[in-house]
Amino acid sequence: MIELLLILVPVVIGAAMQFGRDDENEKWSRWTGALVAAVMFFLALASRGTEWSFRWLSRPFTSAFHFGPTAISYWIVLLLAVCTFSAILAVNQPRRRRFIGQLLMLEGTMMGLFLARDLLAFALFWDAMLLPVFFTLLGWGGHSGTAWRYFLYNFAGGLTLLLATAAFGMLYGSTDVIGRTDVHLVGAWVPWIFIGFSFAFLVKTPVWPLHTWMPITYSDTPSPMVAVVSAVQSKAGLYGFIAIAMATMPDYVKTYAPWLIVLGIVSLLYGAFIALTQNDAKRIVAYSSLSHLGLIVVAIASFNPIALQGAVLYIIAHGLFSAAIFLTLGYVESREETRSLVRLGGLGASNPRLAGALCIAALAALGLPGLAGFVGEIVILTGVFQAGLVWPAILALIPIVLASAYMLRLFQGIMNGPEVPDLPVRADLNWIEGLALAPLVIALVVLGVNPHALTTFNPSAYNATTVSQGASK
Amino acid sequence: MTINVTNADWNAVAPIIIVAITGLLVLLLDLLSPKNISRYAAILLGAAGMIVAGVVASLAYWSPAYVAFGGAFIQSGFGIVFQLIILIAGIGSLILVRPPVQNERIAGATALMLWGTCGAMLMAGAGNLMVVFLGLELLSLALYCLCGLADRPSSRESALKYLILSSTASGFMLYGMALLFGASGSVAFADLANPALASSALLWVGGGLFLVGIAFKLSLVPFHAWSPDVYEGAPLPVTAFMSVATKAGTLAVFARFMYAALPAGTADRLLLPIWIVAAISMIAGNVGMLAQHDLKRLIAYSGIAQVGYILTALAGGTHLGLRYAIYYLAAYTFMNLGAFAIATTMSGDREEGSHLANYRGYGRRNPVGAALMTFFLLAMAGLPPTAGFLGKILILSSSVGAGYAWLGVVLIIGTAISLYAYAKVVRAMYQRDEHVHAFEGHAPAPLAWASAAICFVVIIVMTFYPYTPSNVLPIVK
Repeated sequence: MIELLLILVPVVIGAAMQFGRDDENEKWSRWTGALVAAVMFFLALASRGTEWSFRWLSRPFTSAFHFGPTAISYWIVLLLAVCTFSAILAVNQPRRRRFIGQLLMLEGTMMGLFLARDLLAFALFWDAMLLPVFFTLLGWGGHSGTAWRYFLYNFAGGLTLLLATAAFGMLYGSTDVIGRTDVHLVGAWVPWIFIGFSFAFLVKTPVWPLHTWMPITYSDTPSPMVAVVSAVQSKAGLYGFIAIAMATMPDYVKTYAPWLIVLGIVSLLYGAFIALTQNDAKRIVAYSSLSHLGLIVVAIASFNPIALQGAVLYIIAHGLFSAAIFLTLGYVESREETRSLVRLGGLGASNPRLAGALCIAALAALGLPGLAGFVGEIVILTGVFQAGLVWPAILALIPIVLASAYMLRLFQGIMNGPEVPDLPVRADLNWIEGLALAPLVIALVVLGVNPHALTTFNPSAYNATTVSQGASK
Repeated sequence: MTINVTNADWNAVAPIIIVAITGLLVLLLDLLSPKNISRYAAILLGAAGMIVAGVVASLAYWSPAYVAFGGAFIQSGFGIVFQLIILIAGIGSLILVRPPVQNERIAGATALMLWGTCGAMLMAGAGNLMVVFLGLELLSLALYCLCGLADRPSSRESALKYLILSSTASGFMLYGMALLFGASGSVAFADLANPALASSALLWVGGGLFLVGIAFKLSLVPFHAWSPDVYEGAPLPVTAFMSVATKAGTLAVFARFMYAALPAGTADRLLLPIWIVAAISMIAGNVGMLAQHDLKRLIAYSGIAQVGYILTALAGGTHLGLRYAIYYLAAYTFMNLGAFAIATTMSGDREEGSHLANYRGYGRRNPVGAALMTFFLLAMAGLPPTAGFLGKILILSSSVGAGYAWLGVVLIIGTAISLYAYAKVVRAMYQRDEHVHAFEGHAPAPLAWASAAICFVVIIVMTFYPYTPSNVLPIVK
């Protein structure tokens, strides 16, 4: 039942918040939203090991509303709860109640996605989670074209996912397979099913060359929303690779692994180089995400248990630091009314606390030891080396170096240098804004020092890794 | 051959008779009452008649199939399910009747709608070609008049256009029926299923012409050009009725022809053009939708594509496919009726709810209406949590299972295109736009709101409790 609450409570409250008259002065919506998000966090914490199931279809294949965290998705769900809590506290958009409502609906639908143990429920929430972002882009975004591009790209992915799910169900007779270890699909249809899933996952992650929706979406979406989208929604594809593709179709993941590695490496390099050249602060982080998530794709495709553990670590770490960066950039934007590095500068002198926050987030992103990002990177690289993929591992090192360059450029461009005279000078972070960042920063430090908890899952539960170990000996 | 008509025969057509008599009753009341019969009285009486007919029809659902009037009419689960969908369409569109249908015409409009429903119900239960034609013409005659009901040039144009084009199609169909009669020596569907006919040229030519008529009525590409124009001119409730009842009745005839009336082994080849046409419709309908500025035209193009989806479920001729087709048809009925209900609540004398330009900023003016409209449009696009989503996955599975995966792929591509068209309306409703001077007035329309709410609830329930009727294999004897 906890699962049902995790999904329905945010969705229902979020939907209810869409109705009624706009009132710019209301204070209660933020606290209601934060309270709901906090309760969701503790519910998520308590959801470990629980399951809930309700029969949905019995024909043409069996399917159920089956929800419950797996060993991996448990952490992503917690990440989602934390990020939503922080994002809601950081909201300063107009029509605040509606915005917070959209954030809550996003949380609920993504809870459904990550808790789903059934492919059909997974596909349902895959499409459903697009809607809050789409409506946010319509109501608060910069250009209407962004909303389209986001929606159409991801819906196209959702449709191939749907077709693949239908074919999966017809072939296997059931879609209630996520988190099970005994499902092993073979047959002439399976490569097509795998390609259908992969297309959806690669669009969502995104991976070059399917990424073109992502930079404009990330720069146009208001910061609190994009913090959650980049932290958690972008992990849906990676989670899908681990929990669905690797677990049920390991042979075909292995067949197509070289392609995935190539796409991952290209994304890694391309994202890092483009990030160096951007002047829009949010676009820098968007391209850095492309780069970081490419690393996770390489890790997944390398079929190594250590790399897989690293991938999970980095999924969480990237979520934490990208949410922190986007929220901080939102604070910057609301103070200076621009996010162009050409205009910004010297903000650190008048806003030292803001500078400190961005500093920690950027250091986590560039992989400073002691913070969570470093742990993920080092474990992934170790695993990729161990899998015998020497060149990919070496190539993956280049963007990690570049990450220092673009993150420091971002930080210096905003915080250091002389103060720009024609930009407004506004107050430093207040306590609510600080409170919003606190859970993210604390988690970054805790996981950076003690990442062990995240790696307790059994990698051999995901067939692919055991297949590769068997094959390499 | 003499036919002994028994009470059981009359019981089989009782629902149709009830609806027909209700139509007469409405006219009679209008005649007897000193002024014209009030709108609510006519509508509620008509709706009550259809509800009674629906209850009577569904009572027979679980009883064994009964062949009435010497095979002319067949009472079976298949026909009953389609009749229920048609009745729902009838009720759902009847209660939307508002201005511009003036009070002096309300009784006639109600009666025509009821008789049109009779025609479609007759098609659903037809056991031979003559009854198919009878039902089709009854439905079409009612619709010709209904299309011209509003006092606008476009409405008269719509009626005339529909009359001419539909008659042409009826001609094709009738010619096909004549050739089928020539092939089998009988008008009964049952006699067509004779294996000896499998190589008869008359069957192939006649069947082909018959299918052309069917394709026209389903407005499949390339026989679709009439539907956007006719829909656009007709009054909103009539469009709502046409968009569902005509399609439901024709699909019933097609399904019976396909499942039960073809000699074994001919279905795959004879029907291949239909699947190709369905595939083209899924693409062309959705592409055509992109350029529309009028809700009724949008729904017309959407209907072209949605029929393609339903035919995708039927392809392969499996029992499950038929069940999913019916499931999707029911979902489609509620989505359409819901969208038309919201359009009705927005409409004044000039059907403002039909112009998509008037939806700009609707999300701020009326959040509940906009949310419901969004829901119905996204249901048509197949987004969760709606029956459109589940219907699509069921159709996809049946097409994969029946060996028509290529139709499933076309469906996916068509759906991807359609999203843009549906979401364009959604965007207009929600996008911040300070410079709009859209239609602001709303006439009170409690029935339309109730209808929208019911459609919403039904679609949600259908999603999470996907019941597909099991007793629906069509029979011919």
